[in-house]
Amino acid sequence: MLWLQILANGLVLGGLYACIAAGFSLVWGVLNVINILHGSFIVLGGYLAFYLHMHFGVHPFVSILLAAPLFFALGYALQRSMINRMIAAPVLLTLTLTFGLDLMLSNAMLTAFTADFRKLILDPPLGIVSLGPVVLPVDRLLAMVLALALTGLLYLLLSRSRIGRAIVAVRMDREAASLMGVDVKGVYAITFGLGALMAGASGPLLAMIFPISPLTGPVYLGKAFVICVLGGLGSVPGAMIGGLALGLVESFGALWFGSEHATTLSFVLLIVVLLVRPEGLLGRKGYA
Amino acid sequence: MKTSLLVSAMMAGLVGLGGLAVTGTAMGQDVIRVGAPLPLTGPLAPDAAKQQQGYNLWAETANAAGGIKVGNKRMKVEIVYVDYQSNTPRAVQAAERLITQDKVDFLFSPFGSGATKAASSVSEKYEMPTIAATASSEQVYDQGYKYLFGTFTPNQTLTEPLADMVKKQAAGVQRVAILARNDLFPLAIAQEMEKSAKKRGMNVVFFDKYAIGTLDHSAALAQVKAQAPHWIFATGYINDLAIMKKQMADLKIEAPVVTMITAPAFKEFIDATGKGSENITTAAWWHPAARYKGKDLFGTTENYNKLFAAKYKIEPDYSPASASAAGAILQMAIERAGTIDRKKVRDELAKMDDMTFWGPVKFGPTGQITSLEPPVIQIQGGKHIAIYPPAIRQGELRLGVK
Repeated sequence: MLWLQILANGLVLGGLYACIAAGFSLVWGVLNVINILHGSFIVLGGYLAFYLHMHFGVHPFVSILLAAPLFFALGYALQRSMINRMIAAPVLLTLTLTFGLDLMLSNAMLTAFTADFRKLILDPPLGIVSLGPVVLPVDRLLAMVLALALTGLLYLLLSRSRIGRAIVAVRMDREAASLMGVDVKGVYAITFGLGALMAGASGPLLAMIFPISPLTGPVYLGKAFVICVLGGLGSVPGAMIGGLALGLVESFGALWFGSEHATTLSFVLLIVVLLVRPEGLLGRKGYA
Repeated sequence: MKTSLLVSAMMAGLVGLGGLAVTGTAMGQDVIRVGAPLPLTGPLAPDAAKQQQGYNLWAETANAAGGIKVGNKRMKVEIVYVDYQSNTPRAVQAAERLITQDKVDFLFSPFGSGATKAASSVSEKYEMPTIAATASSEQVYDQGYKYLFGTFTPNQTLTEPLADMVKKQAAGVQRVAILARNDLFPLAIAQEMEKSAKKRGMNVVFFDKYAIGTLDHSAALAQVKAQAPHWIFATGYINDLAIMKKQMADLKIEAPVVTMITAPAFKEFIDATGKGSENITTAAWWHPAARYKGKDLFGTTENYNKLFAAKYKIEPDYSPASASAAGAILQMAIERAGTIDRKKVRDELAKMDDMTFWGPVKFGPTGQITSLEPPVIQIQGGKHIAIYPPAIRQGELRLGVK
């Protein structure tokens, strides 16, 4: 029955990973910008939830509602004021820009919050549910459901709404979209805003599960990177599949080869995918 | 996908840049300069902050008393910090730079067994008396070096009393599960624990290592649970163990005895795990409940606690206390030598046999301290209670960790 528990762990973890990666994948796929700030946005969202909970008793689930518009605005402003200016430049230049911004943000967080690891402790805790031999913590379960819901909403937005179709159109062919009257720079800003929103909203979710520290930013960023390559860029289902795959691989890898090799295994998988199917598991067919 | 490979390479390059930043000021005639390479930024920053507290308290206390007595004059102390960004190779460069460019008179080792061992070859090369405040693994001291002295006793001095105590006071404990961070000290002490347990006839039913930076332990913990162990022994640093404790509760893992090294000795661990920390045991090299009457500048342990609390508003744990002890021990050696001549100070360190607020100080032939009796600590009612040795006992071992 051990494998059932491991399977459940892997799926729940994978749901969280999908949420971490969705916004990152969107920005990379549509803007061709590797947003190094993504990890720090998640951490900042976590601190928002932490302080709201500590000072005002706000539940982290509620904090998401606040974090979402806040981070959207932040991302929108950042894209409008800075990244749009060099969006046509090679990918390494925008990478350097977001890397520099990330250095500033993570050092500002180190100064403001120190490097201490903080934990958002719910009192009473949400507890656990037992399904036969499988035990699952409610906070992870809820976070996973919410993560999948957020990812699903993003998918609906991209596939059904006017602005979503504009984003996809720009992703497919910037010039053609521009000729059709799409305001490309506006679409870029909205896309970057959505990416930041996804990061900021997953912060409170992760804060319930993992400790918060400016130093965990690069860890989340690394996961997002792997998931995007696994699942394929710029596609929400791709991020979902990549996230679930990574969660399962890490869990079963730890069971079969020992915990120390779980990460190694996920990178081996990454290399295999790059060699065999460089466009990612879901390829580039579905642009939403 | 060529770009992503290129990008990864470039990210690695960017992270590797940065260089070394030095803090510290004037070079004066009557100042003793002690170099301290520390991981002030990066994943080990919380641990470096504790070291810095300890060093600063020593320097301020020494300077407030007029400085260190060297022969007929008094010299002030200045600590020269270099941030090596939690990057061990850079710790070695930092140590060398402190010796050759900043011309420090003495050196404190970088953080932890791994970096201490790496940097010790530099101090040996320059015959620089070096005190390690955070290195316990015997492998650090097995190179025949003459200038390295350490304030932590070997790892088995922590696991042996712990295993003794559990054997005597918790008769049913038979099945032991061990989960270790794959890192020099955490792995070495886990292996010592395995020996200590086997020596007492216990079964080690699970032994696994996890990678540095692991955030999710649920797969390993599910296997631990399947083994139904009586004693769970986990090693790592604050972040690792706080995550692990939470995930143990998530999987409903309970055991009569849960021991974690090192984090539970720190107040930060209790803050991060809340009620989940209750009854967790740990071992450390020192506890503020000790009552030593030392000949060093701090004198008694009580006085040290008082000075520390006045400056930092919290009770000291073993980590900053060890840093302060490193300073106090260096000061005693300098005062006895009556000079800052490196060779003479080194000889004073080697023959030291004295009481300090940190405990009795006597270094073995390898340079590692041999004279401490490390306490066992349990978290009871959200507080650190010393349960061993009998001389400082504040409570009895309690069983049952949820």
